Amino acid sequence: MVELRNVSVTYSNGVDALNDVNIKIKDGEFVFVVGKSGAGKSTFIRLLLKEINPTKGRIQVNGFNLTKMKKSRAYKLRRTIGCVFQDFKLIENMDVYDNVAFVLRCIDAPKRYIRQRVPYVIDLVGLKDKAHCKPDELSGGEKQRAAIARALVNDPQLIIADEPTGNLDPGLTRDIVDLLKAINNCGTTVIMVTHEHEIVQEFGGRTITMQDGRVVFDDII
Amino acid sequence: MKISSVNYLFKQGVRNIWTNRIMSAASFCILMVSLLLIGFTTLFIANINLIIGGIENKNEVIIFLNDDVDDERIAQMEVTLRNVDNISEILFYSKEEAFSDMKADISDADELFEYLGDESPLPDSFRVKVENIEEMSATLMEINRMDGIYRVKAPNDFVNILTELKSFVSIISAAILIALVIVSLVIISNAERASVEMRKREIEIMKYVGATNSFVKIPFFVEGMVLGIFAGAAAAAITIVCYSRIGDVLMSDTTIWTALGAAGVISTESVIWKIIFGYIAAGAVISAIGTVMSTRKYVKV
Repeated sequence: MVELRNVSVTYSNGVDALNDVNIKIKDGEFVFVVGKSGAGKSTFIRLLLKEINPTKGRIQVNGFNLTKMKKSRAYKLRRTIGCVFQDFKLIENMDVYDNVAFVLRCIDAPKRYIRQRVPYVIDLVGLKDKAHCKPDELSGGEKQRAAIARALVNDPQLIIADEPTGNLDPGLTRDIVDLLKAINNCGTTVIMVTHEHEIVQEFGGRTITMQDGRVVFDDII
Repeated sequence: MKISSVNYLFKQGVRNIWTNRIMSAASFCILMVSLLLIGFTTLFIANINLIIGGIENKNEVIIFLNDDVDDERIAQMEVTLRNVDNISEILFYSKEEAFSDMKADISDADELFEYLGDESPLPDSFRVKVENIEEMSATLMEINRMDGIYRVKAPNDFVNILTELKSFVSIISAAILIALVIVSLVIISNAERASVEMRKREIEIMKYVGATNSFVKIPFFVEGMVLGIFAGAAAAAITIVCYSRIGDVLMSDTTIWTALGAAGVISTESVIWKIIFGYIAAGAVISAIGTVMSTRKYVKV
């Protein structure tokens, strides 16, 4: 569960990125977070990942109280979250298999489990034949699938997808959102941040619209 | 952390050297040059100290004894002198030996020696060498406490100059070494930072997927340490070859060393293991710490 109560963020340069935001996302939900550039979407994600702290308010993610949590313990929270980014954030000198396995190695998973789980997840996102390709040998859609496999491999409670279709053409966009929907159908909470209103119109569901650091709309479309 | 994870992180660290080979080569060269600079300066200072030590050993205190001191008392005085900590060598110089040497030295004074007769007019004496000239005055005080002493002749001017020279060399060499270590650390740290800067994205990704700080830092630590070991080994090889050549040239003419009272420069054989272990240990420690310190900024994601 994700809960933000009266959360405000003011950066050191004086910019009010979030202003008294209240959001509650239950386990198993699929939520679109939309808004123009500067609306506060990125700040919202940075808060959920404990990258920054709120100036005011309380945040709870997957049972962790982020307001009280020390930055050095953020890894515990991040192990319960899968992240998908617009620029994929794959490690260039590792192939798809190692990029995905890396998450499990970070949490000291047994070798045998890594050998079983990684091929399974890579197969799940349709990259079985590309498992030993480096990121620069993949298309945009394939890179995003690899990033989704990485987000998924640790069986997270929550997947945060930050503009995952921003670098993809419309056909691939549909594939990626379909894949995220399928993951959500298995019980994983998905928060997809996007500025593409067409996607929201097409897929529908709970949509949170942000504007100037405030939530201006929160309902099912 | 499991052994398999540690093994994985070590392998990653070694693999990273090859993956980032251009920056690794740059770090290697900078590290090696810095180590050479520090190493050669240390050897130079050690040799200067050896030469000063040689000069120091030339000090001699002469203890002239009273005429009425008999053989039994002389033996007692020798035992007392041997118990003084700061005295390294004791030589008894009888008045007969002194007179005979004087006759040999002044060959054109037969009339004078005829007038003096066979009886030596010179006193018996002890000639002693002081181990640490900085404690010369305390040693002289101890000597003067003995009965039967007529006069003590000590090279006070020589001691004063040498003591000042020693402290000057110590201060200058310490300052040079500290400055060199600081400059080297800054240069190495900048080189490592440039290397880490290129991989900040990699560190950022590691942090996003839930890696602990130590999980991120260990491969960098291993990478730095391995590079440091290789740079240290290369610097040791260069130093050994160059130093033994320089030593051969300096030792080809022994006149100057005899004049200085020193046996020569420190031989390569006597310091070869110190050079190898010193360089490798310094390289590994400086490089590993420098690399890990450079990652600090980026693990704060």
